[in-house]
Amino acid sequence: MTPTTPAPVPTGSRGAAVWREVSHHGLFWPLLALVLLILACGAASPGFLDVTVRDGHLFGQLVDLLRNSATPLLLALGMCLVIATGGIDLSVGAVMAIALAVSLTYLDNAADPRSVATVLTAIVLGLAVGALGGAFNGAMVAGLGIQPFIATMILMVAGRGIAMLITQGQITTVTSPPFKTIGSGFVLGVPTPVVIALAAFVVVAVVVRRTALGMFLESIGINREASRLAGVRSRRTTWTVYVIAGVLAALAGLVYGAPTMAADANNIGLMKELDAIMVVVLGGTKLDGGRFYLGGLLVGAMLLSTLERAVIIFQLPSQTTPLFKAIVLIAVCVAASPTLRAMLRGRRRADRESTPAAPVEKTTAAEVTA
Amino acid sequence: MSTDEMVRAPRTSPTVVTRARRALSGLDRRFLPVLGTLLTLALMLGIGQQRYSTERVDFVSMKLLSNLLVDNSYLLVLAVGMTFVILTGGIDLSVGAVVALVGLSIAEMFTAGLPLPVVLVVAVLIGTSCGLLIGVMVQVFDIQPFIASLAVMFLARGLANVISVNSLKIDDEGFSALAAWSLKFGEGRQMWRINASMLIALAVLLIAFIVLHYTRFGRSVYGLGAGDGGAAVNLMGLRPARTRVWVYVISGTCAGIAGVLFALYTKSGFNLTGIGMELDAIAAVVIGGTLLSGGVGFVLGTGAGVLVYGLIQVLIAREGLDSWWTRVFIGVVLLAFVILQRVLAVRRR
Repeated sequence: MTPTTPAPVPTGSRGAAVWREVSHHGLFWPLLALVLLILACGAASPGFLDVTVRDGHLFGQLVDLLRNSATPLLLALGMCLVIATGGIDLSVGAVMAIALAVSLTYLDNAADPRSVATVLTAIVLGLAVGALGGAFNGAMVAGLGIQPFIATMILMVAGRGIAMLITQGQITTVTSPPFKTIGSGFVLGVPTPVVIALAAFVVVAVVVRRTALGMFLESIGINREASRLAGVRSRRTTWTVYVIAGVLAALAGLVYGAPTMAADANNIGLMKELDAIMVVVLGGTKLDGGRFYLGGLLVGAMLLSTLERAVIIFQLPSQTTPLFKAIVLIAVCVAASPTLRAMLRGRRRADRESTPAAPVEKTTAAEVTA
Repeated sequence: MSTDEMVRAPRTSPTVVTRARRALSGLDRRFLPVLGTLLTLALMLGIGQQRYSTERVDFVSMKLLSNLLVDNSYLLVLAVGMTFVILTGGIDLSVGAVVALVGLSIAEMFTAGLPLPVVLVVAVLIGTSCGLLIGVMVQVFDIQPFIASLAVMFLARGLANVISVNSLKIDDEGFSALAAWSLKFGEGRQMWRINASMLIALAVLLIAFIVLHYTRFGRSVYGLGAGDGGAAVNLMGLRPARTRVWVYVISGTCAGIAGVLFALYTKSGFNLTGIGMELDAIAAVVIGGTLLSGGVGFVLGTGAGVLVYGLIQVLIAREGLDSWWTRVFIGVVLLAFVILQRVLAVRRR
């Protein structure tokens, strides 16, 4: 009897330990939500999970999801690095619009918009404009020491006006098959946007995680002054990060606008900065800075595009998408919040004693809000 | 305007440069950003007076002021609510979406045949509950204000889309009467008026001023801006947690009121109204001299910021420029103010 009774206790506690380990991982809740959502979509629409090969290209709903995830992933990549330094970049949506406006206006005025060389020049121009926007943000944040929120808000507000100036208030449309390939073509059977986004992801991941850059970013996010004293060139690094975010945003703008080839300065990238921030948060990165998880971005971007698709699959009006975004965002954030876990474990009392700030108030706040 | 009185009072005798400098150094430096706002306002009024005055009609007149307040009353209310949140170091991105939700709810409630007072109260309470939701998420679940208010923004926008994706006309008699009510002053082209939304907006501004500067709650709001998680406020015997929830409730309520004012202004509800309105409000607050990091700023400065904001639009329209220039100019003014604030902050050290 005696050997059997203690036996379940360790296994039980080990199971609990593994469970706690898994459920405490930053990606647990978003990943769970993603898997559930995809399965639910699969149940609602039988062909959802099928991937077929047609003309050597991959086709299917899941491939579409990947394609739609490309833009948010590109934006979120830059955003994640910026957030790691304790900043934020609200201008990415406006930068998307400016980059696309510049590229398409160049193509529109070019002698031969169909030649590959012209298209490459247009792309380089677009990316350069993105870098310029990022450099402006970086100069404001790192050079002048202005809060990132307000510094990037300037470009966010003015940027759409600038894009309108470039397109002269028109919706510039051009026909250029090579440019269109960026958005709707295939590379080895995989949609080009997916390839571009994954390539950007791999490059950023390697640069950030295989060099010391990632650690520098995190150290700046934790304490700018301390990292400077420790020998990190915090100004230059911060500046670089905003430039990278600008270039990635420009790339996202080109990828997003390429299938339609129309530079609609008013609507391209509208509210995309918020989507990007949502992706970063869903990926388990906190807005405080100092820590970031690139892998989470893949989950977050997929979750976002699956959510948008799920609304259509469940035959809900597509305008209700924000509602479900809100529900997922609130659910994931609240589920990941330490307060809720403490509450569930009934250990709020212990927590309350360990935190000196506002010990009495927490109860009253709970009463007020309850 | 009371804004002018408040800040101009210490700024006496600006005739000689040295005396002006002495006056400035004697002036509480907290007033400097607001002083910048007032100077900008004066500069823009001067330019307007120079360029657009005719022999018969002055550009700067009661008519201009009354038009500015009528056209921007909702923005003033939003910006006042936002000032509370920003003073604590937080942010509220939901207000634009709440304005849309409130507008559509008003239209829907009138269609359902509810009486005017009930509709108005429920409309404001919708805003209040949105604010409460943010407050709870921020305080109880420790979610960053940016994300919490972003979630509520999506929520409110989604609910607005659920109500209707078409523009709903509001044709209740009482509501129309309220929208049309105004006191007229002056004659002919110089005629100016005071209407209900203007009075409501100014009342909100006045109440906010009293609450922020003459109550214990106001002190706690400024204290929370210290960025120490409310520790100092707690040690002072004030209530940080309750205050933090309340600022979002106030901002939400203001968004509700602004929704009513916007519905009075447009006499309709539409699910796409108020996209980017939260940024207009934040910009007005920043132009009004409040620091986004919290703890520094005045609600009357916000009033001046809203006037600057409205005046930019008037000048662009008078200049006959395309509307997208407005955004560029607002960006430039924001840039100038942010740099000004930065310069002041550096000199302070």
